[in-house]
Amino acid sequence: MKASGEDQKTVLAPQPRSAALPEMATAVLIVDEDRQVEYVNTSARDLFLPVEPIGCTLTALFTSCGATGGDEVFAEVDSGVASTPVRLRLTDDRLLDCTLRPLSSGGFVLSMDDVTTYVRNAEMAERDALTGLANRKALRDRLVERLTNVARTGQAAALLYIDLDRFKAVNDTLGHPIGDTLLRKVAERFKSATRDGDIVARLGGDEFAVIQSDTPQPAGAQALATRLVDLIGRAYAIDGHLLHIGASVGVAIAPIDGREPDVLLKNADLALYRAKAEGRGCYRMFAPEMADHLPARRALETDLRRALALKQLQLLYQPQYNLASKLIIGFEALIRWHHPTRGVVPPEEFIPLAEEISIIGAIGEWVLRTACKQAAAWPVPVTIAVNLSPVQFRGGKLAETVTSALAQSQLDAHRLELEITEGALLNDTNDVLKTLNRLREVGVAVTMDDFGTGYSSLGYLQKFPFDKIKIDQCFVRDIDSHVERQAIFRAVTGLAAALRMKTIAEGVETEGELACVGAAGCDEVQGYLTGRPISAEATMALLATTCSAEAA
Amino acid sequence: MSDELYRLVYYSHNTVTGDADAVEAAIISILAKSQVNNQRVDVTGALMFNSGCFAQVLEGPRSAVEDVFERIQQDDRHSDVSLLAFDPVAVRAFENWSMGFVGASIGDAARYGVLVNGSGFDPAKMDGDALFDTLRGLAMEEEHPTD
Repeated sequence: MKASGEDQKTVLAPQPRSAALPEMATAVLIVDEDRQVEYVNTSARDLFLPVEPIGCTLTALFTSCGATGGDEVFAEVDSGVASTPVRLRLTDDRLLDCTLRPLSSGGFVLSMDDVTTYVRNAEMAERDALTGLANRKALRDRLVERLTNVARTGQAAALLYIDLDRFKAVNDTLGHPIGDTLLRKVAERFKSATRDGDIVARLGGDEFAVIQSDTPQPAGAQALATRLVDLIGRAYAIDGHLLHIGASVGVAIAPIDGREPDVLLKNADLALYRAKAEGRGCYRMFAPEMADHLPARRALETDLRRALALKQLQLLYQPQYNLASKLIIGFEALIRWHHPTRGVVPPEEFIPLAEEISIIGAIGEWVLRTACKQAAAWPVPVTIAVNLSPVQFRGGKLAETVTSALAQSQLDAHRLELEITEGALLNDTNDVLKTLNRLREVGVAVTMDDFGTGYSSLGYLQKFPFDKIKIDQCFVRDIDSHVERQAIFRAVTGLAAALRMKTIAEGVETEGELACVGAAGCDEVQGYLTGRPISAEATMALLATTCSAEAA
Repeated sequence: MSDELYRLVYYSHNTVTGDADAVEAAIISILAKSQVNNQRVDVTGALMFNSGCFAQVLEGPRSAVEDVFERIQQDDRHSDVSLLAFDPVAVRAFENWSMGFVGASIGDAARYGVLVNGSGFDPAKMDGDALFDTLRGLAMEEEHPTD
């Protein structure tokens, strides 16, 4: 017991006031009973530069650096209550948390922590860095506060969800710097349309939200939504470009449309979804029936995102035959989605959806990497054809993705064929051609898909040396009994031959069609007659048989 | 560079509600504000109006024209802003701010003529690219009787 008593005594032994303090990060000042500074450590001296604190009264010292809040420091002590830090703001906007404690030996010790960075970071955490608007977290926090107020006063508040229409196209075609400038201008327009008490938040990307209170509802929200649709839809002049985007707005009002933050957020989102479904560039007020049945497409959207995440998508492979050699020369990779309850969802249904919700890039990359990996394991080095969506050309990373997929799978670049539709060439043709040329340089072949449908501009055939033209199945169907189809077919194969491009006919289903496309000079065929799409395992097995047949 | 001389021309629906006095007050305020704000950033131009619409020409360094136009877009005294031109130009057509009345209503012409007189508005300066004729035609269609 004695020993510990001695230890305690060691700790509590009076020390010279300044002994332990000089190097502390916290600024420490010791003042005498007259509140005159008697000691400062290095941090404190730095803090008040160029003023020398020793000998000043604290009041004079605070005044010298323009600190506001200095009186409260003493008020805390004078009132005798347990001292909590007092925040001082200096003229240069630094923020100091000050604690003043009386010393048993007389006078006071004042510790000051510079909390500027901490406070700014906390504020930043509430704010969207690009636009300075509140962020998603801050929106939710403010919504919780406002809803508490709604519950107390019964006065309604509105939540507006806003999506920009066509913003992605601006970002994709003109680049992020212009997209960012546009978002900042949009944020300014939000501020000009709202009032001081309203909370405007950017939730990320091109999604915004506003909380409106202290206004009679629903009139207030309707007026604001109308104004936002008009205002955001007005043209923007940025870096010499004239840009046009639009806004779709969904509105939910507390308490009628929900008293809980999550309910209100969900309902505003449902109303926004309705506004977008009904043509965009408008606003919709939430109505209970919107929640009754989550729209089927939205459910599909959720399922598709999940399918991608859970890798519920599959690739099937359809064989392609060379008509002269009668051998399999390759396969086309076809995506299949087997939905747990809906069964097989056709690509025509989910690919446009994937494009719209911007996950086509991820899906396309998955297809490419999976096809390369599986084809690399085939016993026969036949080609693998992969379809590209026009959307995949946006963002300028396609060539990198392809080379990376080749490197990762160790697939010979000459075995990869990319099938593109003319849709890819409709806009930004130059950038797309640059990408295609880069792919050609590494040895990848490029096929013009669906030839004969759409615009089928011959100009595209002149702009890029496609390796192959895939003639659309609408010209193949019943070609044996339609002379005009034969004529078109022959014209295309002739054209392709002159341009040194190969041709492949898709959708060949009968012997008659097969004979006819062969007679018309087509090089390759693909269709139910020569082989339906089959699983990866079946593809392996089929190639193994071919292999042994050749060996025999 | 980025700040070459640009000309932007738009016309919009006048949404100032009220009688001729209210329209007149709004127009005076818009022009006064244009002159003060835009002088600082070296933007000049012309404002044309009648009871139904505004038409404005903004000329100056590109980024300044873009900023001024953004402020105009946020103004709720007009709507349905249609852009007619936004292009680099070699020289200004309007070195100083001017204002013109573009309308057919004789009553309005008499009334607003006082406003316009002395502002130095010269429609001939816009004849070169036929923009003025276009604006004038558009403006006539928008005119409401205010008397």
